[in-house]
Amino acid sequence: MSKIIMLNRRQILTGAGALLAAPALLRATRASAADATFKIGYVSPTTGPIAGFGEADGFILEGVRKAFAGLTNNGKPVQVEIIAKDSQSSSNRAAEVATELIEKDGVNLLLASATPDTANPVADQAELNEIPCITSIAPWQPYFFGRNGDPAKGFNWTYHFFWGLEDVIGNFISLWDKSGVAKKVGGLFPNDADGNAWGDPKLGFPGPLEKAGYALTDPGRFQLMNADFSSQIAAFKAAGVEIVTGVTIPPDFATFWSQAGQQGFKPKVVTVGKALLFPSVIESLGERGDGLSSEIWWSPSHPFSSSLTGESSRQIADGYTKTTGKPWTQPIGFNHALFEIAADVIKRAADLTDPKAVIDAVAATDLKTLVGPISWKGGPANPVKNVVRTPLVSGQWQKQGDKVELVITNNSQYPSIPVGGELKLLS
Amino acid sequence: MSTLHVTRSTPLSRIALPLAALLVLLLAAAPWWASTATLRLIGEIMIYLSLASLWNLLAGYTGLVSVGQHAFVGLGGYILFTVALYLGWNPLLAIPLAGITAALIAVPVARLVFRLNGAYFAIGTWVVAEVFRLSFAQISSLGGGSGSSLPIGIMKAMAESKAMRESLIYWAALALGTGSVVFVYLLLRSRIGLALTAIRDNETASSSLGITIPRIKLAVYVGVAAVTGMVGALIFLQKLRIAPDAAFSASDWTVLVIFMVVIGGIGTIEGPIIGTLLFFVLREFLADLGTLYLMILGALAILIMMASPKGLWGLVTSRTGLSLFPVGYRVETRGDQG
Repeated sequence: MSKIIMLNRRQILTGAGALLAAPALLRATRASAADATFKIGYVSPTTGPIAGFGEADGFILEGVRKAFAGLTNNGKPVQVEIIAKDSQSSSNRAAEVATELIEKDGVNLLLASATPDTANPVADQAELNEIPCITSIAPWQPYFFGRNGDPAKGFNWTYHFFWGLEDVIGNFISLWDKSGVAKKVGGLFPNDADGNAWGDPKLGFPGPLEKAGYALTDPGRFQLMNADFSSQIAAFKAAGVEIVTGVTIPPDFATFWSQAGQQGFKPKVVTVGKALLFPSVIESLGERGDGLSSEIWWSPSHPFSSSLTGESSRQIADGYTKTTGKPWTQPIGFNHALFEIAADVIKRAADLTDPKAVIDAVAATDLKTLVGPISWKGGPANPVKNVVRTPLVSGQWQKQGDKVELVITNNSQYPSIPVGGELKLLS
Repeated sequence: MSTLHVTRSTPLSRIALPLAALLVLLLAAAPWWASTATLRLIGEIMIYLSLASLWNLLAGYTGLVSVGQHAFVGLGGYILFTVALYLGWNPLLAIPLAGITAALIAVPVARLVFRLNGAYFAIGTWVVAEVFRLSFAQISSLGGGSGSSLPIGIMKAMAESKAMRESLIYWAALALGTGSVVFVYLLLRSRIGLALTAIRDNETASSSLGITIPRIKLAVYVGVAAVTGMVGALIFLQKLRIAPDAAFSASDWTVLVIFMVVIGGIGTIEGPIIGTLLFFVLREFLADLGTLYLMILGALAILIMMASPKGLWGLVTSRTGLSLFPVGYRVETRGDQG
């Protein structure tokens, strides 16, 4: 009797084991029946507080879809389908749509753009699910270290291109050096991915500023959507600050800047990251928008052209203004470049149905794009395995006629990008 | 020949219960018949079903209209990250641990917010959630305001194959989703449920009948917090990434849940189920419309609240008297057509 029970139990155990292994088997057969189209999933914010970054996506996708029509791989034409999803400016939603793209749409390549809140969750899902992924528009430190990346090992499935803190620090310091104002800087660093990275004593501004002879007044991290900057303004006034820097979202900067005006704080140079990217933001500041300065990642005067359509930076920017009636914005260059790399990978990959071959092709990229040269093969522009730094310059919003134009005033980090004017002091 | 009986079940409920059990069995076997995408979707529905049933228990039956349940979702998520990053345990173990921690923290929180009533209580719970968010934004070892990602190694250690990993997370979601509904159902059929229904209908009257209102409210609040914390841990096990704004997102974990309960029918067990399913149907078909999708959701909520304050299920019961999960008693005449 007991023997029979033993036998039964063993049978049950093997049965259970086979049963547990079954989902894996089912999945394997499903995966082998891959279809002939190469699917690209694209995640960007088109609604919500950071929708400005995805504002031009409709225009970019239209151009890119046309250019993708004639792509070939191994001598055969490739059908490419681009599935664009809105992250609603939320990292929760970005992770959700990334899994949807991976599981439901079965994408072969994931692209994601704009701020660590979009790039990081998408890249995390791609890394776990072993789907090739390229991201942009997030300084590389919050992207890499924010995902607990290990510089010695890097990531296997996720690659990134954008500038880093070293670039923005170098740019801002040389911009200020040339302005000739007192070397007293006030920092506005919020408690978010960018603010913590920029204000970090090791990776961020404090160290290099001290080395360059600047005194930094950092009143500490503040929460996003802060309603009262009085304590920051008081601290800046007390320290005799003439330069204000930081990395804030547009509403926070608008609050700070109007309160600074009300409280009689008049810095001579204001160079703030992230907040001053879009013409609409500058226009909303009215008269006080004139003369603010910012980092510039891409502009119509960048001497680069698209490897996909052959158009120059100027042509693409003008095309956008002509189609939509809106002024050009910086994300256009980078979001377009994401698809340039995708097209290049499609051309070169040994086997488009094999994720490993696709990611190998990504890693072997060596392409001149709309935002500069992109290569992850281990050159001076690769601080870590999965990141390539793109050229960065800086400049100032200047009133030209009845509208404000972003003018490059400092190209010390990348001299082949031409300057368009001189920095003017605010007061 | 007809006699009078006092009974809970209705002809429909006698069919509904075995059918529900069968459905759960079928869902438990989903890893063998569904694609990963379907698994993910059912898992997400289960997570929201759980949150909706729990919030319904709080607001619909106990009269605790909390708009700060995201406090416990986020707390659960952060417990998961603490367990995974610093203890290196299997992340599934974080789920019960998150439940225990949430319950322990809910006790002092309850002492604080229970001093407030009505709208003040609602705002108080929201404030508590904000305090949680701001506190976790200060803990730099968990990423602070920048957020943090779960190391891939920990996910792989949970189960090497992707299918097994997906299945494990799915079963956990199914257990929490169906578990929450069963928990609410059984609770409401118990003595506590009778007390809760009395509190829902009239607090003063039930107190005069000898119901110890504060003790029952505390028990429900702590119990709901515990399960909400467990759901939170599971949510962020799927998201792989946590940041204070995502973890303590009022719109994701509270407003959407209230939307589901209200359109489905508050104060019924069926309501949250219907509301959750309706929301996911809308999302599957309309989410790609962007802003327009959110406007449709808002318009729908207003429309349903005006046309039927008791939600869609309220509309069904008032017209037909149907009940899938009856918790009250009715008088029935047997022998006639029931």
